[in-house]
Amino acid sequence: MAKRMDTGESALTDEDSATMATAPYNYSYIFKYIIIGDMGVGKSCLLHQFTEKKFMADCPHTIGVEFGTRIIEVSGQKIKLQIWDTAGQERFRAVTRSYYRGAAGALMVYDITRRSTYNHLSSWLTDARNLTNPNTVIILIGNKADLEAQRDVTYEEAKQFAEENGLLFLEASAKTGENVEDAFLEAAKKIYQNIQDGSLDLNAAESGVQHKPSAPQGGRLTSEPQPQREGCGC
Amino acid sequence: MNLPRIISTRNHALLEAAGPSHVAINAISANMDSFSSSRTAALKKQPSHMEAAHFGDLGRSCLNYQAQETKSSLSKTLEQVLQDNVALPYFIQFMELRRMEHLVKFWLEAESFHSTTWSRIRAHSLNTVKQSSLAEPVSPSKQEEMASSPSGLLEERLEDSSTVRLLRTKSVAPDKNNRTSNSQNHVLSGQERDNTSVVCLRKSETGMHSVAADQQESSNLTVSNRNSPSSALKDLSGKLMKSIERDAVSTFTKYISPDAAKPIPITEAMRNDIVAKICGEDGQVDPNCFVTAQSIVFNAMEQEHFSEFLRSHHFCKYQIEVLTSGTVYLADILFCESALFYFSEYMEKEEAVNVLQFWLAADNFQSQLAAKKGQYDGQEAQNDAMILYDKYFSLQATHPLGFDDSVRLEIESNICREGGPLPNCFTTPLRQAWTTMETVFLPGFLSSNLYYKYLNDLIHSVRGDEFPGGNIALNIQGPGSSPDSDSIGGPDGSASQSNVKKANVKILKNFDEAIIVDAASLDPESLYQRTYAGKMTFGRVSDLGQFIRESEPEPDVKKSKGSMFSQAMKKWVQGNTDEAQEEMAWRIAKMIVNDVMQQAQCEQRSEKITKVRGWKSCVHLSGLSQCGKSRALAVPPVMLLLCKS
Repeated sequence: MAKRMDTGESALTDEDSATMATAPYNYSYIFKYIIIGDMGVGKSCLLHQFTEKKFMADCPHTIGVEFGTRIIEVSGQKIKLQIWDTAGQERFRAVTRSYYRGAAGALMVYDITRRSTYNHLSSWLTDARNLTNPNTVIILIGNKADLEAQRDVTYEEAKQFAEENGLLFLEASAKTGENVEDAFLEAAKKIYQNIQDGSLDLNAAESGVQHKPSAPQGGRLTSEPQPQREGCGC
Repeated sequence: MNLPRIISTRNHALLEAAGPSHVAINAISANMDSFSSSRTAALKKQPSHMEAAHFGDLGRSCLNYQAQETKSSLSKTLEQVLQDNVALPYFIQFMELRRMEHLVKFWLEAESFHSTTWSRIRAHSLNTVKQSSLAEPVSPSKQEEMASSPSGLLEERLEDSSTVRLLRTKSVAPDKNNRTSNSQNHVLSGQERDNTSVVCLRKSETGMHSVAADQQESSNLTVSNRNSPSSALKDLSGKLMKSIERDAVSTFTKYISPDAAKPIPITEAMRNDIVAKICGEDGQVDPNCFVTAQSIVFNAMEQEHFSEFLRSHHFCKYQIEVLTSGTVYLADILFCESALFYFSEYMEKEEAVNVLQFWLAADNFQSQLAAKKGQYDGQEAQNDAMILYDKYFSLQATHPLGFDDSVRLEIESNICREGGPLPNCFTTPLRQAWTTMETVFLPGFLSSNLYYKYLNDLIHSVRGDEFPGGNIALNIQGPGSSPDSDSIGGPDGSASQSNVKKANVKILKNFDEAIIVDAASLDPESLYQRTYAGKMTFGRVSDLGQFIRESEPEPDVKKSKGSMFSQAMKKWVQGNTDEAQEEMAWRIAKMIVNDVMQQAQCEQRSEKITKVRGWKSCVHLSGLSQCGKSRALAVPPVMLLLCKS
């Protein structure tokens, strides 16, 4: 399914992702993400939906950490996302903390049908703020938006919480795929914007960003970033 | 290295599972340096749950489980930094920038005081024993040895710190002045508690001043001591105790006394307590007198300064030093998040990411289990372990890694163990995954562009931090950056210049040549750009008629011994190669041509013939320099023209 957004950034079609897969070196950036939140809110399912476009109905819980990757496009730039999915069980909390460091983006997930997962957000947010960079982009995700009948947390209150804490916010469903790509994309857009306006130094280690120009394509001798798709303003 | 394959049945798996891998481990470790800290020590450890007696004890028998190397030298705790001679200087520099270096220095001094005091006291008690039994005379050389051992310890620990100089003057030459120490002890015991501190300080100060003078008398004293062993020992003991006191007082004066330039943040009560411990009634200094203050200072450093240090360019520089030292271990990469970021990308490109994923998951599983110290839910642990089994080990595994049957059976037994799996459940496959990554992928990673990029980013972080406020979109374009450092001004300007020089990194071992990386010229974009190669012609003819070759006739053949770089050096420095001589000849020819051209423009036709003749001889002359060499000098067409006319 292709979605064309206003400013020209596009989600990937199936064709696109196929060509992406066969051209492994044509991304200019790698952003490191982490996904955090209570157990059972759907972190792994969100990741799986994003990278495999499939919903794992009975996926086992994550042991420690796992990571998945996918290439997206922002402002004409191909960006690979390296997404670290952490275990939500309390017993893994100590080991997963070591993966927060150096993340460019963080997805903080709760389950809209379980209020407790929403209430624990302040604890997750504290960890995120303490262990990541000041520039890390944090996006709040209310998962399981398809289970409207069992909703336990309203959109408005979560939105307010997000605004109070300077977070992006989206409700999504790993099952239907609704807003899943947007979740990752919005964060990427914000990170890219930070790079453009200089608040994120992309050549610093621990920024969570690897930057390299794309490999030369065709007969080009010099490597330049891919031309902007938007109007060139000249 | 062939792991002997043993086909074990389920019944014997438990007893034999450790067998083959144990043999293999011994074979490996026999060749490795097994003294390196814990690297192979953990491998040699027999899992204790192999003993049947420990069934059903919920893992309590496994309390001595040691994970594999769990530290990265790139990630440090404060405690580790204070004990690491490589990292410590960077931390001190960082603290100096914050004007808090007295905290570190006090901690270091107190720490060495603590350890050396105990060794001095031990020496003292040994002497007392010797003295009482009137042992054989102690030779002066031995005396010197014993006296200098505490300072040896100190020197080892504080190589790079400036406190070395300070301590050296204090403890290298223990006080040889018996009279002062005797009277001092006498004085101390007689004093009231309130005045003790003042007297202590004053007496020691006079004592300190006389150290230099005492050093000259040392040889005289030792000669006289040779004759009376018991008094020699007594002498030495006195010196040791005196030196303890001296050190304690000097530390106190520098950091704790209210008059100190930068006192450490402790309460008045604590200060008094320390005073009491230094100036004890029996004249003995309590070796633990600084311990409480030390822990307060440690906490202050940890809470207020250490996390900033880890984000500072000083720490980056330390990391760069480690990474370019030529010995980077897998642990350094896997346990450091920023390095792991790059390594993960590398593994994905190598299509071996599952090995890494398995290692991460299983290691995390074991770590969290071990942290419980036996107090965990066996069923829960079993469920966790089964998830890993289904993913990586089972015959229908979703991400099979190719572990052989013996490993699979071992894992099955470990998981199905009564009471649940133990924290070393996956040790065997973890070790195999580790070895695979270490031998197959790490070398490639350390030579890869990704790793180079990582180093580059670290270097950039260093430079970015040096210019306060300048780390935003810092465009490193060589000379452009140096004016910035000057304009920032103040003491930072000169400091950052020298730091920039330090940022020239020598990358050894992982690349073909020793590449000196000038950080000032590092522009990440330029790493991937190639300069315009030109029209790709074979050559051109200059206006002098010289054929200038633009292609290399035999690029693959090395013309001389030595590397590319040494060849280039030879060319520029020595200049007496064939090419250089030819070049000289051409220059001479050009000069002659210019000369003639000038004259020819002014001269009349009649004189041209003689000029041409002169020409010919000149050409011949320059050709003479090539005499004996099989090189043909192409005659410039200009000259030909003149000759003809």
